[in-house]
Amino acid sequence: MAGTLMLSLLSGCGGSTESEAVSQSNAGSEKVGGQGEITIGVTSFADTLEPTEQYFSWVVSRYGVGETLVRFDDEGEIVPCLAKGWEISEDQLTWTFEIREDVKFSNGDDMTPELVKASLERTFALSDRASTFFEPESMEVEGQNLVIKTREPVAILPGSLADPLFLIVDTQVDTDSFAMNGPICTGPYAVESFSPTDACVVVKNEYYWDGEVPLDRVTLKCVDDQTTRSMALQTGEVQIAYNLKTENLVEFEDSDQYQIQQLESLRSTYAFMNQNGALKDKTLRQAVIRGLDKETYCNTLLEGGATPGKAPVPPTLDFGFDELKDENEYNPESAVELLQDAGYEDLDGDGFVETPEGEKLELNFVIYTSREELNVYAQAAQANLKDIGIDVKLNTVSYETLLDMRDSGSFDMLIWNVLVANTGDPEKYLRENWHSTSSSNQMGYQNQEVDSLLDQLSKEFDDGARKELIIKIQQLIMDDAATVFFGYETTYLISSTDVTGVNMYPMDYYWLTKDISRTK
Amino acid sequence: MNVLHFLKKNKQFTVFLILALLIVGTAIFAPWIAPKDPYEAVMTDSLTAPNDTYTCGTDKLGRDVLSRVIYGTRSSLTMTLCLVLVIFVVGTLLGILAGFFGGIVDAVIMRIADMMISFPGLVLAIAIAGLLGPNMVNAVIAISAVSWTKYARLSRSLVLKIKKNLYIEAALVSGTRKGKIIWKYVVPNMITTMIVTAATDIGTMMLELASLSFLGFGAQAPTPEWGLMLNEGRTYLSKAPWLMIYPGIAIVIVVVVFNMLGDSIRDILDPKQN
Repeated sequence: MAGTLMLSLLSGCGGSTESEAVSQSNAGSEKVGGQGEITIGVTSFADTLEPTEQYFSWVVSRYGVGETLVRFDDEGEIVPCLAKGWEISEDQLTWTFEIREDVKFSNGDDMTPELVKASLERTFALSDRASTFFEPESMEVEGQNLVIKTREPVAILPGSLADPLFLIVDTQVDTDSFAMNGPICTGPYAVESFSPTDACVVVKNEYYWDGEVPLDRVTLKCVDDQTTRSMALQTGEVQIAYNLKTENLVEFEDSDQYQIQQLESLRSTYAFMNQNGALKDKTLRQAVIRGLDKETYCNTLLEGGATPGKAPVPPTLDFGFDELKDENEYNPESAVELLQDAGYEDLDGDGFVETPEGEKLELNFVIYTSREELNVYAQAAQANLKDIGIDVKLNTVSYETLLDMRDSGSFDMLIWNVLVANTGDPEKYLRENWHSTSSSNQMGYQNQEVDSLLDQLSKEFDDGARKELIIKIQQLIMDDAATVFFGYETTYLISSTDVTGVNMYPMDYYWLTKDISRTK
Repeated sequence: MNVLHFLKKNKQFTVFLILALLIVGTAIFAPWIAPKDPYEAVMTDSLTAPNDTYTCGTDKLGRDVLSRVIYGTRSSLTMTLCLVLVIFVVGTLLGILAGFFGGIVDAVIMRIADMMISFPGLVLAIAIAGLLGPNMVNAVIAISAVSWTKYARLSRSLVLKIKKNLYIEAALVSGTRKGKIIWKYVVPNMITTMIVTAATDIGTMMLELASLSFLGFGAQAPTPEWGLMLNEGRTYLSKAPWLMIYPGIAIVIVVVVFNMLGDSIRDILDPKQN
């Protein structure tokens, strides 16, 4: 009886929300006279809006505040943005960017090439990550041009400048206030107020260079919980919800009030394996990877919400996914064999193996909360590894904590979900994660050959040769059993038909754009 | 015969005692009762609706929900009983000390208690559990830290009342040691009230533990624990309602049974009724 009661309560809720959504959105548009305010349900990991800290610049870019010299279009191609065009010299060391003339910052200041230069210099001075993209030997202003010289040829330089890290800020103002009041940038919107865990309110940038901005005010509300986000969209509390997953689709599919977009994304979900701990042993790492049934995770558990992984770069990009040989495919029997041969034995009879030295083996697997599918991967991995006798302890933390834990290396396995081609090409991603000198590589992975191939790759301009190099690098990483590649997710964007112009970009740097407006 | 007669006279108590024993039995004999291994993930059977093989359906990883609910009795019950025991012993003891000795001891203990109750209980528990790190034992510690005050205040007021009696003064005058007075004269006169309070608290405490687990500060995956199961099922609410319904029912039943049992015990023991 209790069951029926609960069911009827639930369906009661479901029924009333739709009509509420309609009445609420009507009320909303009346209030603002058709001009518009909208609310977007987002997940946010930004403690501050200082673009040079961590990956917080992504948030600044996603919220329609920051813009870069060049950007990616919806095909993932590099197109002009704050720079009208660019060219490279014969010796491949000098890049000339022609800066757009009519651009103003959101406080009315003109964006001069000098300020662009100052902004980039600020980024290089404050962010450790900046120099992992490229290191400029000099940056000079020549008329309306910005000339960047590098010591070594850098093939991905324009793509790097499209990374939100290099968004252009006004350095003439009090830059210390960027963290909490938002940076002064050139995007269609400017920050009005920001609260890390609650919401960020942005208002129309009156000085925007690329046409009239359609909305007066947009609230980007942090709704970290996926179910709550989905419900907020159903009740009309938000008009667009990011990061919803396959299990949410059922709530929106049959309604013509919602628009669902999906994209086989360029995101890869993987788990670092820390080689400074028990996972130093390659056999153990191989056993772990062989113990994981990634096909089932992606196809059954996530209901096709992801493509099963094996290599760093997903098959959506043409970098030889099919020709890469995975010697660590799912094979629990061989995983058990590997463990046995290497001397991993269950000595105390608790069902889990001890290390060859006779110590207890418990892998600390750190995951974070804002992406629901990570929990599915981690729990499934825990269940699978239990079957082959490896004890995994899950540690669920917030994304901010996860970043700290990665930087301090306090993990055995640590989940990561990242855009593979953040510069339009996987080079930067490979370097950041698997080059032995990268500051983000805290798992102690080191392979001279990978390092030298990566160095070679950064100087290579020919697409065919680049592809060959990237395939080789991927194969080496896979052979070293350095990382567990879980899958490549499909991303969904669900929006109410009250808003229009919502578009998904393969590089998810752009959420709130100048194209989004209200229909009623 | 005496026992039988007592049980017959207190029908409500008898009924709920039997039910409570059934629940305890379920916890103890879980491996024999549960149809499947609660940890065994048959991933191909992910989110199967209740059918012949899986009476209560399966969860996301294809684990049998019925078995997990049955095994959940274990963690929920042991943790709740530990928790109640801890706060009962600690709270009562501190309350007796404060009430009996008065002065600085009283002031220190009761001011700490005041500090504890000036925060919303569960919020403080979340903070403590968050600091200690999420697991079942820490959840018990966190809730103990905020719940002992109730027992301390109650036992302190009882002790203050008892202390005024002539027999205590007589014992003091005749030079009986304080420990003996407490143990022989104070405790027996207040312990029934304390036990009644503890018995009626079992249900509440179980709910608090489940809430902490639900919020992610208690039991951790893959432990079968009702609060945690509710949280895991939440994501699939519209698609797989059985993930929330069955653990929910389990919580309701167990909490109701223990509350009613506590009520019956109070009816029997409450001195006012005699």
